Order: sequence, then structure tokens, then C-alpha cells
Amino acid sequence: MSNFGFAIEGAWKVLAAGLVLGAGLPVLFALGIRSLAWGADAAAPRPAGKALAYGLFAVVILGVLLGLTYIVASGFGKTISFDHFWPAIVDK
Amino acid sequence: MTETTVILALVVVTALGFDFTNGFHDTANAMATSIATGALRPKVAVALSGILNLIGAFLSVEVALTVSNAVVRIQNADGTPKESLTTDGGTALLLIVLAGLIGGIVWNLFTWLLGLPSSSSHALFGGLVGATIAGLGWAGVNWNGNGTKLDGVVGKVILPALISPVIAGVVAAVGTWLIYKVTVGVAQRFTENGFRWGQIGSASLVSLAHGTNDAQKTMGVITLALIASGEWTDTKNIPFWVKASCALAIALGTYLGGWRIIRTLGKGLVEIAPPQGMAAESSSAAVILASSHLGFALSTTHVATGSIHGSGVGKPGAQVRWRVAGRMVATWLITLPAAAVVGALMWYLGNFVGGVAGAIAIFALLLAAASGMWLRSRHAPVDHNNVNDEWEPVPAPAPASSEKVAL
Repeated sequence: MSNFGFAIEGAWKVLAAGLVLGAGLPVLFALGIRSLAWGADAAAPRPAGKALAYGLFAVVILGVLLGLTYIVASGFGKTISFDHFWPAIVDK
Repeated sequence: MTETTVILALVVVTALGFDFTNGFHDTANAMATSIATGALRPKVAVALSGILNLIGAFLSVEVALTVSNAVVRIQNADGTPKESLTTDGGTALLLIVLAGLIGGIVWNLFTWLLGLPSSSSHALFGGLVGATIAGLGWAGVNWNGNGTKLDGVVGKVILPALISPVIAGVVAAVGTWLIYKVTVGVAQRFTENGFRWGQIGSASLVSLAHGTNDAQKTMGVITLALIASGEWTDTKNIPFWVKASCALAIALGTYLGGWRIIRTLGKGLVEIAPPQGMAAESSSAAVILASSHLGFALSTTHVATGSIHGSGVGKPGAQVRWRVAGRMVATWLITLPAAAVVGALMWYLGNFVGGVAGAIAIFALLLAAASGMWLRSRHAPVDHNNVNDEWEPVPAPAPASSEKVAL
């Protein structure tokens, strides 16, 4: 296969991962902010909003931790495998 | 002290100089958005980015000795220099590397003077390609790889440069558009603080990833020079002083901050609001990490610029300065050839003078060019005080004149 073919193949994967992590996580974060605001109604506070917000923030933080783990692991010549769905640190 | 030792010392100093320009050229990639939206004060932002680059550089334990193999054929597959280049105490290889590094630095400084974000890796690759063509001929360049993977000048430099800004831009545009949809009508006291932290977090990830990726390249080049001159033999490890000095050089460069480029990316391309800043940096972080995971070489600069541009496209009614974007794309197109021309000229000159004198001559030229450009920059300084001033696009006949708006 030519360089061009490899590039297109790689580009699709990067775009897909980028949309899930690079656009998806910020949107979850924005949803968290929205539900935080919804829960903090001055007249009638809604605890569910706050709980949902912190749940969403937790998912975002997990995503960031995944990114951090990848950076640190690749510095040590390791990478993260998604073969078993759950991320695992393996040799490159 | 032998001739080789003197040339080697010049290579090491020049490589650290390149690493330094690499840092300060790329501060903007991570921090321009946070500075423009006021999420971080300018000095705090560059300090944070500098520290994260330092940590990132120390985290890269893996040896990037074969970094030059992507574009030129001066090394074997295991990272040792080609035997034909080391017969004369390694001076043949050292001259190519020195000339290439000078090409990279000169182009980095020139684009900084114009306030244009261009890719430091492309500048380095361009310089090496030029010096190699001059020293070994066209066959010394790895244009297309061997067809088994994405490789060569086309696969590692040109194609990613065309594709990665588009991907980053699409991701940031989608993210921005959705974030504005989701938070419509939410009180400002919630969005302001929330997106502030979102921006700082995502920008920090970009800084850390930058430190691990980019400092490694200089470490690889210095170690290659050490092996070529017989000062080091281990291809699996690099000397600790190389790692420490490269980490410090890139961190110091980042802290100094290329304010001109920060200004262009933060204020010139689009007017950035906090949600856009978060969308742009998240897109950059995700695209950089995903590509590096998939072995898809790319430039942080192209990704960051594409993301910021995308965040302008995705926000309904945002002003996007396509003219500025056009200038950036033009700069990317000429980065590799321009750095290559400088690298080639430096090799010819160094080779013409010959030996230590040749190496000293081109090093002196580098110092002269660097001082000249620094003095030129003092006519219209951009620093942490005026980095966020309003951007007034002048219909500039010459590219350099738009720098004067900072006054």
C-alpha cells in the first residue's frame, strides 16, 4: 500500500478517536455544568442535578487520566492496549 | 582537543539552541487560548507550560535515536550512523547535522519574528533534508519510505501536514458547536468558572505531551552526534546530561514564551471565548495522543492551529480571520523547503571552508542571523503586557508590517 493509503487509513482512526475523546468529553463536561446550574436553583435546590453533574465530571476526569497514563506509559516505551475493551498497559 | 571534539561541541550547543527555539515557538500551541480568554495570566500560563514540558521531557525514557530516519539516510536502522559518514572521525555526519540544525533554528526564528506558528519538527526535518541533499545528493533523502508503513518525507511530513489540521479543526468545530448548544441559557457564573478549569486542564495535557514528544527529537540528534564521533556507543540509552540539558532547554524556551506567536494564535485567528478555548485544547490533546498512539506522525503546531480555527468555525456568528489562516497555511507549505535551503547553503559553506573552520564559520553565521532577528524584533516588541491587545488587521503589503500593530 502506498503512503497515501496508509495516511487515509490512519486519518479515519484519528478522526474517530478525536471526535469521541476530543469533542465527546468536553460535551459531557458542558452537560455537567448545565446540570450543576439546574441543580442550584435558588428557590428549590435539586440534589439530583448536583449528583448528575459530579458523575459527568468523574467520567471526564477518567478520560483525562487515560490521556495522562498514555503520555507517561509511552515515555517508558509502553503503550495502552484496548484489546480487552478495558485499557491495559503493555509493551510497545 | 581534536577537530572532531570542537565540531561536536558546536553540534551540541546548536542542538540545545534548536530545542530552546522549539520550546518557545510552541508555547502558543498549548497556552494561546488560555492566555487570550484570561483563564490564566500570561506569566502563569507560560510558567505552567514550561514546568509541564520539563516533566514531559524527563518522562521520555524511550530513546528516539532514529528520529532522522524518517526523512534522511544518515543512520542505520538500529540508530548507529552510516559507516561511510564516520570514517573521518565522524566529521562528515557532524557537518550535515550541524547545517541541518542551523536551517531549523533560522527558520524558527524567522517565523517567530513574523508571529507565524510554523512546525518546529518540519523546520528540523527541512534543515536535515537540505543538508543531506547538499552532502550526499538526492538519494540520501528518504522521500517515500519503502511502502510497508507511513514513512519518508511524504508519509511523515507532507501528508500529516495536510491532514492533521483538518481533523483537529473538525473535532474542535463539532465540540464547540455542541458545547454552545448544551450550555445555552446557563447562568454565566457556572459557565465561566467551569470552562476556565476545562481550559487549564486540557491545555496542560497538550503541554505535557509536547514535552515528551519534542524534547526527545533533540536528545536523539545529540546522541547520534555523540555516537558518530565515538564519544558514546550505547544505542539503547542516552547520556543523562543529554536528557537533562534538553529538558531544561525546552522548558526554558517555553517559559520565555514566543509572545508574537501566542498573540497570533490567541487573538489573530479568531476571538476566543472560554468554551471555544476548552473545545480547541481538548481537540488538540485528543488528536495528538490518538495519532501518536496510532503511529501517525504529526506536528503539534498544525493540530493546535487547526483546532483553534475549528473552534471559530463551530461557534455561530464567530469572526474567523481567513486571511490570517491563509498566511499560516502558506508558511507551513514553505517551512520544509525554506529550512532545507538554509541547511543546504550552510553545508556548502561549511564544506567549502572545510574542517573546524567551516563549522565555526557557519556557527558564527547562525549567531549573526539570530542576533539580527532578535534586534529586529525589538522594534515592535510583543510580550506578556501587550499580548492580548486588540487585533487590528492592517491590509499589509509586506508580511512583517502586521507585527507593528502591537505598538
